[in-house]
Amino acid sequence: MTDVERLFRTYNAALVRYLTRRLGDRDWAEEVAQETFVRALRQTSIQNERAWLFAVATNLVRDEARKDMRRRKHLALLAEEERDAMVESEETTLERAQEAAMARKAVDALAERDRLALLMREEGLDYNEIAEALELSPGSVGTTLSRARRRLVESYEALQKSQEEREKNAAS
Amino acid sequence: MQHLDEGTIHSWLDGALSADEAARVEAHVRECPQCAAAVAEARGFIAGASRILTALDNAPRGVIPVAAPRKRFDPLVWRVAATVLVVASASLLLFRDGGREVRNATVSADTVGNNTGPTAVADVAPAAPGNDETQRETAKAPPMTAKHSGTAGESKPQITKRDNARPSIDLAERSVAGVAVTDTLTGAKKRAGVTPGVAYSGITPPPASQPNIPARENNAIVDQKTGAATGNPPSSGYAAAPAAAPQAAALEVAPSRILLRGAMSPNALRGQLPLRVVGTPRTFGAKVTLYEVAPGDTVTLREESNLRLGAVVVTGARAAPQTRQSVEKSSAAEQAKRADSTGVNAADSQRSAGAVRSMAQAPSIPAPISRVEVADGVTTISWLDATTGNTLKLSGRIPEARLRQIKIRLEVERAAAAAAAKQNP
Repeated sequence: MTDVERLFRTYNAALVRYLTRRLGDRDWAEEVAQETFVRALRQTSIQNERAWLFAVATNLVRDEARKDMRRRKHLALLAEEERDAMVESEETTLERAQEAAMARKAVDALAERDRLALLMREEGLDYNEIAEALELSPGSVGTTLSRARRRLVESYEALQKSQEEREKNAAS
Repeated sequence: MQHLDEGTIHSWLDGALSADEAARVEAHVRECPQCAAAVAEARGFIAGASRILTALDNAPRGVIPVAAPRKRFDPLVWRVAATVLVVASASLLLFRDGGREVRNATVSADTVGNNTGPTAVADVAPAAPGNDETQRETAKAPPMTAKHSGTAGESKPQITKRDNARPSIDLAERSVAGVAVTDTLTGAKKRAGVTPGVAYSGITPPPASQPNIPARENNAIVDQKTGAATGNPPSSGYAAAPAAAPQAAALEVAPSRILLRGAMSPNALRGQLPLRVVGTPRTFGAKVTLYEVAPGDTVTLREESNLRLGAVVVTGARAAPQTRQSVEKSSAAEQAKRADSTGVNAADSQRSAGAVRSMAQAPSIPAPISRVEVADGVTTISWLDATTGNTLKLSGRIPEARLRQIKIRLEVERAAAAAAAKQNP
């Protein structure tokens, strides 16, 4: 197994999930993840793999870089394998769709740095890795995360509340 | 001790604090109800945020529609496949039984250059004839098309986008009946756009216009230009390419090549695709058929019936040898596909090659006179079909030379169909 293959197998799922949450589009997320691994191919050495990958993915999202299709082929095949192995989730109900829409809205309402820190944390990155990926001081990660979580939950609850009110009004 | 700030609480809960700090925080939380409440709240936020983020995982796959499940039963493909099968088996029967004259006559006219794809050079292994040869042939042929389409799509980012795999599948499905076989044979493969290159790389055929035929086949490749200019001696055992076409016309098609095989291996009019019928508009007094000769390129064949009593009688008398020759020629195509399973005989080969050539050149048989008109960019070739006595008009917005080659293919196919009809009335 080549090094990039190992990287891919180790981090792809988390990276794609992170990017999907960040972008709201799984295709795009996969594309950016692949691009990230292509970048990893070019690196002679990476100190902290996970932090590096998430940082690069984050930058790619920012730059919307979509290049180097040729090298993606191999990775695409691997991705396909993984996708085939994955069990598709059950059909999305209306309720779940509403939840997803509200979650998206709440996440989008966060400041970019807060959002990214939170999404990375959810993928298991530790504070040092998040700090490295986002070029923060390690000491500020806790503050960033606490702010992000609080705001996310609060804005989600606010959305939920207004949704309930709308439904109540519609019913009466 | 000062109350804990929210960041520290989260850091502690996330396990990001050093052992010393963690111990200090823990001690404080135990003593300070206010901070204990803050910790409880933070736990709530952590769990809540996680849950909210999980809801994002059902993200759609964007505006790009996911590739639809492959259509396994394209009626058109099956119809074409069935037709080819019927024609092929009819020809085979014909030549097993009565085809003593033509054994291995083969004409290789790599007709229209690149558009016909790699199928023009079907890989017929000369060695190891066996009962399964036909099967292998069938199994081999489709990947070429699949491969071809895969190659065509290679410049596109088809791997990263699901939908991009789709067009190449369509292309493959559209191009030949043989692909229908691919579908069944390689049904397990989900996406043709990616798989063919991997699955079949071992048996990749040479592209149609490329002369890199495997050496084991002992092929010599003679550029048609050279052949026409020098006049190939009949003893070379090859049949001049497009039988009824003037060689001058063939000259115009640069990539056309003739495959010249050794005495033990038959020449072949190999693997040519049947022209794809894309429509048969109803017309009074004539049968009109639209053929697709390349993606987006169609030609129209108009068959006007000149049915008069005299014509029937006269044509009937003349038709016999002509039909036979047409059949010989067409069967050469079918025969070539099964070249390995039939005994190869050089003498036979020469003989039949001569027979085919005579159709083009021999003055003893009145070759149908064709007329060419060009109007508004549409080239039309009109000729009298000796078999049916009908006037055939082939027209299309393509150069005359190419149209002539299509005409030849059409004649071959018509003859094959006629033979099949004769065999199985």
